[in-house]
Amino acid sequence: MTPEIMSFSDLNLKLIAPELWMTLLACVVLMMDVFCPKLSKPKLAYFSAAGMGLITLLIISYGIDGVGGTSFSGMFVLDPLAIFFKVFILLSTILMILASIDAMEKIPYFRGEYYFLLLFSALGMMFMVSANDFLSLFITLEFSTFGFYILVAYLRDNLKSNEAAIKFFILGALSAALIAYGISLVYGEAGTLLFDKIAANPPTSSIGLTIGLLFIFIGIGYKLGAVPFHVWVPDVYQGAPTTVTAYLSVVPKAATFAIFLRVVFGTFLELKTDWQWMIVSIAVLSMTYGNITAIAQKNMKRLLAYSGISHIGTLLIGMAAGTAMGVESILFYILTYLFANIGAFVVVIIFQNLTDKDEIEDFTGLNRRSPLMAFAMLIFLLSLAGVPPLAGFIGKVYVLAAAMHQGLIFIVVVALINMVISFYYYLIIVKKIYSVEPKEYTPIHISTPLKVALYISIAGVILLGIWPNPFIEASVTATSVFTNLMPK
Amino acid sequence: MISNYLLLIILFAPFLGATVLFFIPNTQKDVVRSITVFFSGVSLLASLFLFYSFDISQGGYQFISRTVWSETLGISFYLGVDGIGAPMVLASALLMFCGVFVSWDVKDRLKEFYINLLILGSATMGVYMSLDLFFLFFFYELSVIPMYLFLIMWGRHTKGYKDMKGHIDMSGEEKRNSVAFFLNFNKNSKEYAAMKLTLYLSLGAVVALLGILYIYVQSGLNTFDLIAIAEKGNLSLEVKEIAFILIFIGFAPIAAIFPFHSWSPVGYAAAPPAASMMHAGVLKKLGHFTIIRICFYLFPEATTKWMPLIAILCVINIVYGGLVAFLQKDTKFVIGYSSVGHMGYIFLGLASLNTIGLTGAVFFLYADAMAMGLLFALAGFIYYQTNTLDIPSLGGLVHKMPFVTLCFVVGGAASFGLPGGMNFVGEVMVFMGAWEVYPIQTIIAALAVVITWAYYFRMTRTMFFGKLNPALPDIRDARTWYERLPLVLLVFFTLFFGIFPGRFISVIEKGVTPILARFDRSAENSAAQKTALTVKTGDETSK
Repeated sequence: MTPEIMSFSDLNLKLIAPELWMTLLACVVLMMDVFCPKLSKPKLAYFSAAGMGLITLLIISYGIDGVGGTSFSGMFVLDPLAIFFKVFILLSTILMILASIDAMEKIPYFRGEYYFLLLFSALGMMFMVSANDFLSLFITLEFSTFGFYILVAYLRDNLKSNEAAIKFFILGALSAALIAYGISLVYGEAGTLLFDKIAANPPTSSIGLTIGLLFIFIGIGYKLGAVPFHVWVPDVYQGAPTTVTAYLSVVPKAATFAIFLRVVFGTFLELKTDWQWMIVSIAVLSMTYGNITAIAQKNMKRLLAYSGISHIGTLLIGMAAGTAMGVESILFYILTYLFANIGAFVVVIIFQNLTDKDEIEDFTGLNRRSPLMAFAMLIFLLSLAGVPPLAGFIGKVYVLAAAMHQGLIFIVVVALINMVISFYYYLIIVKKIYSVEPKEYTPIHISTPLKVALYISIAGVILLGIWPNPFIEASVTATSVFTNLMPK
Repeated sequence: MISNYLLLIILFAPFLGATVLFFIPNTQKDVVRSITVFFSGVSLLASLFLFYSFDISQGGYQFISRTVWSETLGISFYLGVDGIGAPMVLASALLMFCGVFVSWDVKDRLKEFYINLLILGSATMGVYMSLDLFFLFFFYELSVIPMYLFLIMWGRHTKGYKDMKGHIDMSGEEKRNSVAFFLNFNKNSKEYAAMKLTLYLSLGAVVALLGILYIYVQSGLNTFDLIAIAEKGNLSLEVKEIAFILIFIGFAPIAAIFPFHSWSPVGYAAAPPAASMMHAGVLKKLGHFTIIRICFYLFPEATTKWMPLIAILCVINIVYGGLVAFLQKDTKFVIGYSSVGHMGYIFLGLASLNTIGLTGAVFFLYADAMAMGLLFALAGFIYYQTNTLDIPSLGGLVHKMPFVTLCFVVGGAASFGLPGGMNFVGEVMVFMGAWEVYPIQTIIAALAVVITWAYYFRMTRTMFFGKLNPALPDIRDARTWYERLPLVLLVFFTLFFGIFPGRFISVIEKGVTPILARFDRSAENSAAQKTALTVKTGDETSK
């Protein structure tokens, strides 16, 4: 086989223009921070958000025009799925930048670099959702995690933050090693690393391939924080700055799901019997363990961490279904999870900015101190629990309907029981917020950017609940890249 | 045409009101009150119009409005009422309207209270008018959460809470927050009641959701449209059986059928009056209604098979609910358990599966809604005045509150089935229908009416007559217009339809007949299959 020689014109720079602009933006933000020390940091934040807004528009225009194709000899792909996730990543990063401004003003050092690191991680994830072979998968996965290693350790005087960073780093490195090993095994069996080529000539099921897939799944499981690879999640979530936790709890998970979908459905769909049992067992474990452990939590961030683990389990149900409807439901569910979870964290951020506390006990009587925050928290928790007319309900019904179509009754029953368990601990928080009287009555002031972030999240949760059709259609379009899938 | 938008007006007026209320500051109580009265009033007037413009000669589903909501998932926003839904929409709107006045004097967070009430009311009406399984469940689940908020924010701790406080831990907080709280027996805090009610109903709801998804998948039509599934869905007998069990177990808890009833008296006792009225009055009836709507309509074969069991359970409901009510010392617990007992009569009517029994059951649904609404409103007023509902420590209230006493006697009499009240009509029809099928159960149920009489007479006597308890604080009658209006309205609707049930019964009959026709058709089908089978086997043997 003669090696393919790549010329510059083959690169098709138009496809990676958003990423290039994003790189430029990140570098400009960093340079502005260095060379204009007098520039206030909130201005830097607004600048980054505005730049990202423009890039989002560019990507949306790609989506409307139907721009797509592969580049870098097929390692990079721009298709509806990638566009869906890129918009998702950019919008949630903008939301998080708005939510971070106040918290960053309280940190005495490295305030400008924060935005740079956030942009850089977002850039890594934008590449990640376009990864079209195992090598670029590995590189982009590491690329995006790199920024998070620093961000988690951002409170360098805080012991918990440092502990969290070390845990995150060691387990991240371990999972990277597992993925690399799994990739080498898969390469040994398939003879190529490109997803397209593997899908075109699917290798026959063999021990090497199964073990290779298992290693890749375990590595991805670590990144997702699914049980039994979840041990780092609560500690990291608790130790990291809350703004980082909020970001970490949603966006990298979504990006990891994007490559997970590509590996499973774009590449190894033929081997369904080999991977379905793995996903079903991880899903059942994650949901049950996450929900039951969440009941006992006393810290708000830890509780949201465990509830996040259970939501990953619910998402995996859609994957286990292994149909187009399953993939659509995953995409839609991630959207609902974005608004509800980031919203809940925004409430914690506002609260923490004022009081520096994040125990559940501290939230008692929040309704007396700030009716808006209490109402927002109510909405977000109920959406996470899956109560209509909020987004989470539609997401849950969608996922479960996809699994029912495949006859996976067992996992649906487990998910429904878990829904009731999650009701219990979400409602305990609601009770504390609304029913118990607070220890002090000082009203909580919410600054404008945080208010905007809060309103966007509330609007998202309600809009996706009462008018989900455009978002469902967007998921359907994104799913259309997996042409081999059965409809339901 | 207004009839195309009538259901939308009824349904969305309260939602709109709740949205408007969000933007009104809580300090402007009069503005908050008038907005709530306006939007719930619009809903009530529209549903009265609905009830009287329901075309009896035509029957079937009327006032249909349909919008496709999601093509991909096969969900459409499909509303319409039949003869069963129309009266219940009226009852919900009426109780919501009355609930607004009953809670006129709520001191704490009035705005939030009204938002909750409006959402609860319109969610309930949403179930009564949904013809799409998805939205039926959507509204059903939506009605669960406001109740939780009502209980934790405006509820009261019920009997014996103080003892628990002193002995176990000073604040009682730790115990109530423990994971195993539902295993211990300190059932007296409002938080316990709230969590118990919510978890019971949610557990039921997820089973129902499983059932609905099962029907959705098995029908193979990619639609949640109830009528399409009924007409075109090719459900096998086995599927129907499983789906029936799931839906029944899912929705029966909210109707407080025997093994799943324990949430209801506790919840009602702890809830603020308006919430008890709504829940005991119309939310509880969602159970029966959804069972008629889904089980009877879609799975007549399975229903026929399982109804004998229901007939036994409902007798337990009647006798057990009545006996426990007899032992209670808290007014709201008595009313709550009497409501559990009444649910048994309705199930008996359902189980009879004939026109008169089913009509009676649906009539009873409405009648009980009025009686429960009236009684809980009065209990709320008495609690507001005396700060206790402990029956032995009340007494002689008639000297201070004659108007309330009069209403309570009317409500109690209507509830135990005195002629003139609506319950009497319903009970008699249920007994007539059930007598043909389950004579033994009917005799027990009819005898059990005596228990109802006994505890209502005893409760009324102790609470209202005799000597006034000197320990009671300074109490007064319901004398302001907003205190009297809901009572007058509820008494009026109880007596009016009790004395002139004509139109009511013919409306309900129009809803009941097509459902029973499906039973006949299914029976014919199975008979035809059986004959076909015997003919076939006969052929084979002859060969």
